[in-house]
Amino acid sequence: MSAQAKVVPIAGRRRRSKRRAEPAGDTALRRRVGELEDELSELRGSKPAESPLVALARALSSGAGGLTWASLARLQRAFYFAWHSEQTDDFGADARFAETLEPFFEFLYAVWWRVEATGTEHLPASGPGLVVGNHSGVLPYDGLMLQLAIRHEHPARRLCRMLALDMFALLPVLAPMLSKSGSVRANPENAERLLRQGELLGVFPEGVKGVGKLFRERYKLARFGRGGFVRVALRTGTPIIPCAIVGAEEIHPVIAKADWVGRPFGLPYFPLTPTFPWLGPLGVVPLPTKWSIDFGEPVDLSGYGPEGAEDPILVNRISESVRETLQRMVDGRLARRRSVWFG
Amino acid sequence: MARTAITGTASFLGGRLLRRLVSERGADAVLAVDITPPPTTLSGVRHRMVDLTLPGADRRLVEVFREEEVDTVVHAAFFTTPRRDSAYAHELESIGTLHLAAGAAAAGVRHLLLRSFTAVYGARGQNPSFLTEERKPDADSRLAWVRDKVEAEAHAFSFSRRYPGLGVTVLRFATLVGAGVHTFYTRLLSKRVVPVPLGYDPLVQMLHPDDALEATVLALETGPCGVVNVVPRATITLLTALHLSDKLIVPVPHPAAYPLAELWWASGVGEAPGGFIDYARFPCVADGEKARLELGFVARHSSREALESYLAYRFPEAA
Repeated sequence: MSAQAKVVPIAGRRRRSKRRAEPAGDTALRRRVGELEDELSELRGSKPAESPLVALARALSSGAGGLTWASLARLQRAFYFAWHSEQTDDFGADARFAETLEPFFEFLYAVWWRVEATGTEHLPASGPGLVVGNHSGVLPYDGLMLQLAIRHEHPARRLCRMLALDMFALLPVLAPMLSKSGSVRANPENAERLLRQGELLGVFPEGVKGVGKLFRERYKLARFGRGGFVRVALRTGTPIIPCAIVGAEEIHPVIAKADWVGRPFGLPYFPLTPTFPWLGPLGVVPLPTKWSIDFGEPVDLSGYGPEGAEDPILVNRISESVRETLQRMVDGRLARRRSVWFG
Repeated sequence: MARTAITGTASFLGGRLLRRLVSERGADAVLAVDITPPPTTLSGVRHRMVDLTLPGADRRLVEVFREEEVDTVVHAAFFTTPRRDSAYAHELESIGTLHLAAGAAAAGVRHLLLRSFTAVYGARGQNPSFLTEERKPDADSRLAWVRDKVEAEAHAFSFSRRYPGLGVTVLRFATLVGAGVHTFYTRLLSKRVVPVPLGYDPLVQMLHPDDALEATVLALETGPCGVVNVVPRATITLLTALHLSDKLIVPVPHPAAYPLAELWWASGVGEAPGGFIDYARFPCVADGEKARLELGFVARHSSREALESYLAYRFPEAA
């Protein structure tokens, strides 16, 4: 900024001496400022990275006459790059976008849900790991909180990429939001590629049956897909770390489902909660329950070797045992919990 | 002597390849097979007029390939831009490749290299972040543009199975963007206002033409190696690309966007049919690992550099 502040008066003085005769009206002055700024950006050799508020103020101050396609495009551009960086990583994660949303998720993590994470020492400090959790809460808040818990409580502050359900990858607004915050689509190709790169991966094998479950089914783990996560872990020799999330299942208590409402919009389910859709936009505010995220002992699968992935009986057995471990962890935490709101 | 025949020399990539081979191997080593003759600046290049869409084109091709002693054929006669005249596109791309593969097999051609597109994988929400060559192309695509390419690939491979002497390489190029490229894609990039589906921002790949050419030349040196993706160094998100080129973006909810685009296309104004909206909603990003291992090809340009090269060419006053 200081370089910019030094250059402006020099460029201004040079031009002003040439055009002293011009009346110093407000509009003329504004136009001059605009011209000089353009000149400055040309001198710098690149387009200016304006803050969106500066861009907005400029667009408003130039009045109706300044409203052109180009100025609107510049305004849009300033807003977009205030949120996004110009280059994402190979899987579409955008560090700048994550930073932008962080205050909001931090608020949810620290204030709204007062998340308490234990057992982070079970996560590997480096190398691949597959975190397997119980899914709930209608919207994928649990994945985001799991990500934050690992970010905050684990000494290596690792990024845990979440494997997102296909249905979230199809929905507008949510799809780019998830992929920019480091999620990838849940399919074996992606999981295997990321684990071979030595990344930490989070997955909810219950899938859509878990996230959309009814309130009366809370904390009863649904069927674990078809064991795809076990096959990937076996093929890559990755340890599985079970992770019990308690508190997320009460944030949107689903009393009933009216799936036919959502079907024309491509929604896999349409929940009816005490507040949604009756209270309109207020209905999407999640309830401030108290959360705990417990990481369990890692399950080492390297003894079976990659050929174990071809054995459906073994895959089923491991999948079931992980499910039972997870159910036990959830039940244990529930037994110790005295209040939904205060833990 | 063994010549290399190139079809579609009037297309951007075919024309560039013709020039490159003429300068590397001399005019006599190359044969242009097209309905339009090569530019007069390329003096001494042999040209045979063959219309691939005509019945009996395969017999004519056998004659041509035998007489000219052709051992390698590069098939670049494909439409990068969708055509309203989809019947002709089908005749040229699908049936034309059938004729070409038949002619090449009968004339004892050793290597048939097909130009294809990574778009044949189809853009789907369920796609993995990197599509490898093992992924089946989208044969049931709603776009005739995609189906014709998939059929053309299938024709080439079925001839190669029946006539083992004929080796096939299919180079699936990512979307070409760069100086000199004129496709529906770059025409969208040269508008002031671009409609996009609301709430989507997929990763896209833009391939610099120099990289495409380099990969083709490497594939000709390597010999038949099946399907190979040719992709740029890095991806870019669609909205980043549009904002970097200073477009005004109009978000349209996607349920409305498909019929509107279809109407726009049918009324003769739109650049492409509605099915292409899929590519603005979902990723269709191909993996370039096989090209690195088998052809030794690594793109020199990233998607962003390809875009900047196009913008500098199209809007020289802004650069």
